[in-house]
Amino acid sequence: MPRTAAPVKYAAHAYILELIVVQGLYVLAAASRHWLIAHADGWALAAGTVPAIPIWLTFAVLWRYYRRIDEFARLKFLQTLAISFGVGSCLLVTYSYLEDAGLPPLAITWAWPTLAVSWALTTAIMQIVQQSEK
Amino acid sequence: MRNNLPALRAERGMTQGALADALNVSRQTVNAIETGRYDPSLPLAFAIARLFDRRIEDIFVDKG
Repeated sequence: MPRTAAPVKYAAHAYILELIVVQGLYVLAAASRHWLIAHADGWALAAGTVPAIPIWLTFAVLWRYYRRIDEFARLKFLQTLAISFGVGSCLLVTYSYLEDAGLPPLAITWAWPTLAVSWALTTAIMQIVQQSEK
Repeated sequence: MRNNLPALRAERGMTQGALADALNVSRQTVNAIETGRYDPSLPLAFAIARLFDRRIEDIFVDKG
């Protein structure tokens, strides 16, 4: 069994804290992106990528958490991630077809919140199901 | 797969949390193994067997 870098029982606390900080950064970056692009003389492209930085940091947070948890938690984590991102992707594709039918187009910045919300809901549902199985 | 982990743990007066700490896994993982909701990997099964000084087949039994 591979030994984790940090005690398994503290992994969830560190994960939630890191996730809250990074999602806060995403909200800040997404809200200020137009201002950043307008004020970035000659650096508009670089300024435009600022909201993507917290997304990459989210991936780093997920990877750190995955490395800290044990095998059963990894299984649950990957199942939840796979289901939620599958559902989130289906929602986004469905909406893109609804745009053709007349619904207003959504900015790409909605993609991450959609995936994040479907992820949070799936995690909550999986927790309830697992609690009921005990 | 069935197992007699609860009995072995009780013999030693260990809580699920203490066993989890000894194996460097979460208490939820120990609970899932004991209730048959999760079959451990071979490395974890060996770690459990080492801890209780038993053979794997003395702890984990095929349901069939």
